[in-house]
Amino acid sequence: MVVAQNISKHFGNIEALKNISFEIDRGEIVGFLGKNGAGKTTLMRILTSYLSPSAGKASIAGQDITRNSLAIRRKIGYLPENPPLYPNMTVREYLKFAARLKDIPARTMRLSIDKVMDDCRLLYVQNRLIAHLSKGYKQRIGIAQAIIHEPELLILDEPTSGLDPVQIQQVRKLIKDIEHKRTVLLSTHILSEIEQIARRILIINRGELIKDRPLEGLLKDAGAANLEEVFLKLNPPQAQRIDD
Amino acid sequence: MTKTLAIAQKELSVYFKSPIAYIILIVTITVFNIFFYMIIDQNREATLRDVFAVMEFMFVFLVPLLTMRVFAEEKASGTMEFLMTTPTSNTSIVLGKYLGSFLFFSLLLGPTVIYYLIIEYFGQPDRRPVATGFLGLWLEGGLFVAVGILTSSWTRSQVVAAITSYVILFLLYFSASFIPYTSEAFAPVIRYISTLTHAANFSVGLFNLADVVYYLSGIALCLILTRISVENRLWR
Repeated sequence: MVVAQNISKHFGNIEALKNISFEIDRGEIVGFLGKNGAGKTTLMRILTSYLSPSAGKASIAGQDITRNSLAIRRKIGYLPENPPLYPNMTVREYLKFAARLKDIPARTMRLSIDKVMDDCRLLYVQNRLIAHLSKGYKQRIGIAQAIIHEPELLILDEPTSGLDPVQIQQVRKLIKDIEHKRTVLLSTHILSEIEQIARRILIINRGELIKDRPLEGLLKDAGAANLEEVFLKLNPPQAQRIDD
Repeated sequence: MTKTLAIAQKELSVYFKSPIAYIILIVTITVFNIFFYMIIDQNREATLRDVFAVMEFMFVFLVPLLTMRVFAEEKASGTMEFLMTTPTSNTSIVLGKYLGSFLFFSLLLGPTVIYYLIIEYFGQPDRRPVATGFLGLWLEGGLFVAVGILTSSWTRSQVVAAITSYVILFLLYFSASFIPYTSEAFAPVIRYISTLTHAANFSVGLFNLADVVYYLSGIALCLILTRISVENRLWR
């Protein structure tokens, strides 16, 4: 489903990604793990064709991301780190706008919007202005726009950051419900979350892919009880520089 | 095409969902009305030529306020990432945004048609200069909106976008004033660049294809540059 070959990205002198290669099969749930600033968001932005790689190639469902960018964007649902919402729109208006931009035919549009609002538990607030809603709702609206066109690949950048425990539970359940239907790629630095959702973990550190293992294998290799121990072993706190 | 319309519709609704649109509409129309009254009262002529000149001058100040948020706000709030990861071409995004802002500008210009009805009621105006004058203002507004959208695509700060478009619009508007200070050879070029030259033709009833081409090519150039700027990934 996703093939990345030697992807590098630099912004001026800063090398954000170095030679990253991996493959993700259809139906897999993969978690990107890394400290803040490790390059997770940059990698996701490259896969959504929002940024172009400085070197290397990536393809999604067999199509090159730079050459067939419009076709690929139809297959991807993307939730950026901060849900990209228009505060002056109501939930329904926003989802309608997203549906129109994502090529959902006019005759099924209403159905798609109602379905996604039901899936994301948004029906109750459908006519409220987005500006007046809590962060948990905003995150769910962000997920709703990402799945409204039933994409084959879902890319979620820190889908639960800044939410309270109840909201985290709700969003996690939402992702769990989706996972049976499509390939999911999510990034987070909340380790328990990735343990609960993802089957395979990619760990990125300073722009390099340092681990690519199924969750069980990763725990076994490191002789650790949970992912937090693995993460701390790979990123020892004393080794962190202030500029990280 | 449907996506261009979807974006244009969204742009237009964004204007009306903030109080700024209403404030701009009310303040502008009120100022236009005051100037219309003063000019007609002093000139005692059934012509809108001087009214058009005042309106054109005011649009130089007004249009950047309308257009500054168009791209800058989307970039600052992260919604640009949403737009650009949907299967929407950059051309549709630029055209949709232009169309939305231009329609809002047209709504601003629309009510001033009543000035014609007033002078028609009280006098016998020459209709041709009125018609070409409105057309000239409309085209000029189209160019100003295109310049404003271009500068908005360069930055994520609305203030920077507004100031940059003021600089460009002032240069376009006042360029003819620089002619005495430049060499003879540049004079025709500078006169051609000046929006005043072309708007003056329209307001006296001249309909030259060259003037129409000036505005349309200016709009096209700005929109092409906007598309390049949106595609350019430096600001991301």
